[in-house]
Amino acid sequence: METGSARPKAGLIDCVGLRWFFRLLSSSIGQKFVMGITGLLLCGFLAAHLAGNLLLFAGAELFNDYAHKLHEQWELLIVAETGLAVLFLAHIYLAFATAAGNGRAREDDYAMKQPKVPGRVIGANTWMFASGAVVLGFVLLHLVDLRLGMEGIDLRGLKLKDMKPFDATVKVLSNPISRVVYTIGAIILGIHLSHGFSSAFQSLGLNHPKYTPMIKLLGKIFAFVIAVGFASLALFVPEIWRK
Amino acid sequence: MNHTSTKALNLTLKIWRQAGPDQPGALKSYTLTDISPDMSFLEMLDVLNEQLIAKGEEPVAFDHDCREGICGTCGVMINGQAHGPDSATTTCQLHMRRFSDGDTILIEPWRARAFPIVRDLVVDRSAFDRIIQSGGYVSVNTGGAPDANAIPVPGHAQQDAMAAAACIGCGACVASCKNASAMLFVSAKVTHLADLPQGQAERSKRVLNMVATMDSEKFGNCTNTGECEAACPAGIKLSNIAQMNREYMKAVLFSCE
Ligand code: SF4
Ligand code: FES
Repeated sequence: METGSARPKAGLIDCVGLRWFFRLLSSSIGQKFVMGITGLLLCGFLAAHLAGNLLLFAGAELFNDYAHKLHEQWELLIVAETGLAVLFLAHIYLAFATAAGNGRAREDDYAMKQPKVPGRVIGANTWMFASGAVVLGFVLLHLVDLRLGMEGIDLRGLKLKDMKPFDATVKVLSNPISRVVYTIGAIILGIHLSHGFSSAFQSLGLNHPKYTPMIKLLGKIFAFVIAVGFASLALFVPEIWRK
Repeated sequence: MNHTSTKALNLTLKIWRQAGPDQPGALKSYTLTDISPDMSFLEMLDVLNEQLIAKGEEPVAFDHDCREGICGTCGVMINGQAHGPDSATTTCQLHMRRFSDGDTILIEPWRARAFPIVRDLVVDRSAFDRIIQSGGYVSVNTGGAPDANAIPVPGHAQQDAMAAAACIGCGACVASCKNASAMLFVSAKVTHLADLPQGQAERSKRVLNMVATMDSEKFGNCTNTGECEAACPAGIKLSNIAQMNREYMKAVLFSCE
């Protein structure tokens, strides 16, 4: 902005020309943009992850083979996992940053508040932070269970060490606590996506009378498929492969 | 409240009363009898105020000017809805026939940190003015009115710009948003000028500055719930916000600003 005050002295950020980047990360629209991109990329991960895990229905051999092939390409895996971690952390950081700003934007609540959107009862959009927090909790547990293999902090007493991926997964899913948690996690994730998917397009500016109705429908279908897909793993896999 | 009344109404009003910006406020109840269903909502408040003045009490302060839906000053929350139950309607255009005999009507001011309460139902919306001051104009000297055909504007651009220009700056979008976000208002102002040839020279600078001011005025962030669109009396759409998002990202990533 052309104000009368002197411009601040050029610091490192200006020398390497990164002011645009900080504007992106600190402005409301930039934050929503990054939120949308990271969210959609995470949706891509979900789709791939579900596709791989549906092999649990195909039996031990195919699933172990898949897991083995995946872990063989460890160079790629490091890149992919680092990328995923960055996406998650950015998405979570922005959730906190924007939610804090939103909370401060209205200090005194209305005595009465009613929606004006026709037909709205209670929307997933009101619960994005809460549903996201539940999903985060679930993801952390899931990582502890099946990625990090941290036995010490596992209160359910599952001994997964040295087990084949298929057996370890079935064992985790057979535990009643994890079954409930995994099912709830999948459903809440679906609720999160039912708003998040199409909302991401809006935040990216991708709103068009020709395509937006389709994107909204796709978002609901995607949310449904992901929720039902992952929940079915927790509900049916242990039943099918009970020894 | 979907039906319409034709006979005179007896109403209970619960109105937010607050003597000044830093004073404590509270809801106060009033009863009104024999309100004509043909009155506008503001005329109903006028009747109440006349009665209060006759009794020697302080009248309820509320903003209003044109009383025909164009000035944007009259907005209040009516039973938890910005500008009341009708869509595409300002408070002054709302008629009492929309209510039923015996109804209780709760009237509150807009609530947002960026809109501090001045008194009763009156809020300070100068944050909107500061957003406009930071870029919602064309500052190149355009001289006298040019011949209409000298500046070609495609029909759809003209229509989009005209639709965006309909924003009356009432603040219902902020009031109805659960995050008190001003994005609908700012998007109307940004897209209105971005669609027209006269707005091109300052296109990037405008969106960057207006969004920066919006953020610094402590409005919340958009979470795409669509409540603003539903409350807007002027028909500004979520697609305006998407267009602003595009304008902003284009300016951040590709302009020299
Ligand atoms: S966008 Fe609509 S609701 Fe918001 S200030 Fe403009 S007219 Fe009012
Ligand atoms: S008084 Fe002008 S819009 Fe209602």
